[in-house]
Amino acid sequence: MFEAQSSTQPTAQIESKSIPLTQLMRGQTGRIDCTQSHPDECSMLRAMGLRPDASVQMCRLGEPCIVSLSGACRIGLAKDIASRVMVRIDD
Amino acid sequence: MPSTDSPTPSEHSKPEIAETREVLRHAIAVLGNPNVGKTTLFNRIAGIRAKTSNFPGTTQEARVAHIQLPISIEEAQGIAGLASVLIDLPGIYSLDLDLSESRVCREVLDGSLAPAGETARVPDALLVVIDATNLMRNLSIVGESLARRLPTIVAVNMIDSARRKGIHIDPDKLSECLGCKVALCSARTGEGIDTLVEQLTSAKIPDRSAPSDQAGIERWAQSIYEQVSAGSAGNQDDSLTDRLDRAFTHPVLGLLSFVAIMTGLFWTIFKFAAYPMDWIDLWFGSAGNWVGAIVPEGPIHDLIVDGVIAGVGGTVIFLPQICLLFFMLALLEGTGYLARAAFVIDRALRPFGMSGHAFVPLLSSHACAIPGIMAARAIPDRRDRLATILVAPFMSCTARIPVYVLLTTILFPGEPMRQALAFTMCYVLGIGAGLFTSLLFRRTILRGKSRPMALELPSYRIPDLKSALLLTFDRGMVFLKKAGTMILAISIVLWWLGAYPHSDPTQESIDLRAQADAMVDTAPDAEPSQQAQSFFDEADALDTRNAAKNSMLGRLGSAFQPVFSPLGYDRQLTVGVLASFAAREVFVSTMAVQVAGSDDVEDETVLGSIANATKDDGSPMFTPATSWSLLIFYVLASLCLPTLVVTAKEAGGWKWAMLQLGWMSLVAYAGALIAYQSVLIFGGA
Repeated sequence: MFEAQSSTQPTAQIESKSIPLTQLMRGQTGRIDCTQSHPDECSMLRAMGLRPDASVQMCRLGEPCIVSLSGACRIGLAKDIASRVMVRIDD
Repeated sequence: MPSTDSPTPSEHSKPEIAETREVLRHAIAVLGNPNVGKTTLFNRIAGIRAKTSNFPGTTQEARVAHIQLPISIEEAQGIAGLASVLIDLPGIYSLDLDLSESRVCREVLDGSLAPAGETARVPDALLVVIDATNLMRNLSIVGESLARRLPTIVAVNMIDSARRKGIHIDPDKLSECLGCKVALCSARTGEGIDTLVEQLTSAKIPDRSAPSDQAGIERWAQSIYEQVSAGSAGNQDDSLTDRLDRAFTHPVLGLLSFVAIMTGLFWTIFKFAAYPMDWIDLWFGSAGNWVGAIVPEGPIHDLIVDGVIAGVGGTVIFLPQICLLFFMLALLEGTGYLARAAFVIDRALRPFGMSGHAFVPLLSSHACAIPGIMAARAIPDRRDRLATILVAPFMSCTARIPVYVLLTTILFPGEPMRQALAFTMCYVLGIGAGLFTSLLFRRTILRGKSRPMALELPSYRIPDLKSALLLTFDRGMVFLKKAGTMILAISIVLWWLGAYPHSDPTQESIDLRAQADAMVDTAPDAEPSQQAQSFFDEADALDTRNAAKNSMLGRLGSAFQPVFSPLGYDRQLTVGVLASFAAREVFVSTMAVQVAGSDDVEDETVLGSIANATKDDGSPMFTPATSWSLLIFYVLASLCLPTLVVTAKEAGGWKWAMLQLGWMSLVAYAGALIAYQSVLIFGGA
């Protein structure tokens, strides 16, 4: 799981700010916090670039959910997966 | 190049060419993330020398090329180049993932696995291909590669795209940070490729290393990225990509564009494949005549003409369609559209227990189930993969087309509109049966939901024609080798079963010939009268029919006929059905051989003579009920031995092939029975 390695901030503070990726609005940007999923799926997403603190911009909501990763690549995620990826909204 | 004795770094870096180069080629493994242009780069270096192979015991495909790499003058000593083998590994995001493709890469780098035909050993060098426009993520796999302590070169590909996006990469700084050679290049334009190729034989073991844990590698990658890269892709105007993505993945618009694109694809395939198919048909026809003329009549003549040429011709005729399909698919993949289409299909297939990953396998199966089933290798989840393999042969392959043409023509002579409708119905019925099968298996033996998809969506691009052509050539060769050799063997066996044991002429035909001879004798100088000629023809037809009936295949037909009797098939049709187990299209040729009695009508086409064929008792063979029953049977039945062989291989056991055969036969029998009895009852035929 990402949260074990991802952040230096206290857990309670992260949880209060984290929302599922699916709750980002179109065009909104956030930073990946953790992925609440099976370890294999976490490792896969992380290797694809959805690693802690990576910047994501929501391009399309729904099924599939499409995000742009730091403007470098686009990743399409089944809604099911996207709802388990937690992000912090950029201030 | 020595490899078994744990070579020291200096040995590795100076390839020894002298004695061992005949035996062991300088092995270079090509590693990288998916969508970084790794295969385009591989093709750019290897060209037509690249061959598709596989990793034994896995479902992963490998591209391998034997090439001569340039070496420096001081090393050359009169030798033209270094004999090397370039191995294109599957695209992976990380070496450490628990996925089949990552496992294959790990084992190749460990020296415990090699593509079929190559010696398994630790590669002599590693070429890591990374995407200049997505450097930070790509550096992670470079970090993992450095830990392997192999002579390494990093190719920073797509440098032209990066430049357009305003990204600048400092190659010297990057080389310093990684401790190995770095080459900036563009596989699409060819920029920097020569320099990269020159560097391939002088790769050194990196003098730097990366942390071993994932979080450490990520921090390491970020720090290098910040040192070597200036400018960012983050401020790009992606509004066009956004709009296209939204349209192509939209629930309604996405589906409509998918249907439009696929219709265009199939229209192109059927339209343009028709010409080369005619030429191939013509060529094999004249080859048969030519061989027939020079080889004296006898078993060898029959074996070559009726077994080898007919069998190989029947397979090769589908090559244009297969090649065009792969060419169009490669072009479509090059545009970046296929990844979007996978999500559209995912939505449609998910209720039936399959995922969007099944899209390419099922699409390819419309050409031939064999490449379709092989394409299922790319499906990550085992149950998803098995379901797709089991369903693939329900898709109407091109080998069914001759049978569809024959039967729809018999059913609706002179009515092209109805023929087209019946044709479409066949395709829809196949897809429907496939979806039903998937639903059933995913609720029973392959229980579980299909894995949700996470896919990188590559940038929209103009496809690379050269890569598409190379892939097409390669797939064509694989099809020819696999299907060709198998079908050739089966055709020979079938010919033998159909030709032996030889039958003596029947009393009836002897009498007919005697009568005809008597007519000729009365007027020895004249041409045989029409009546005499028709007696001769009738005698030949009787003998052909008698030989077919008494051959092993004929006896088999008689033995199995009671099974097919409820579907309306007589002995000859039963033989046709049994023979088409070798390959479906054999049905048309088998029927043509069996009804050879109609050959006395000179102008009649093959289709015409089959349509007017009669049973042994003289009644018409193809009633509407029988034709419908046959059509439905051919849509649904697993009448293809090569497909079963491939299923067994790809699914990992004959039990899956037997399940496929059993289930498809059951569905086909039930469907044909319902069709036959319904037409008999309601159609008044």
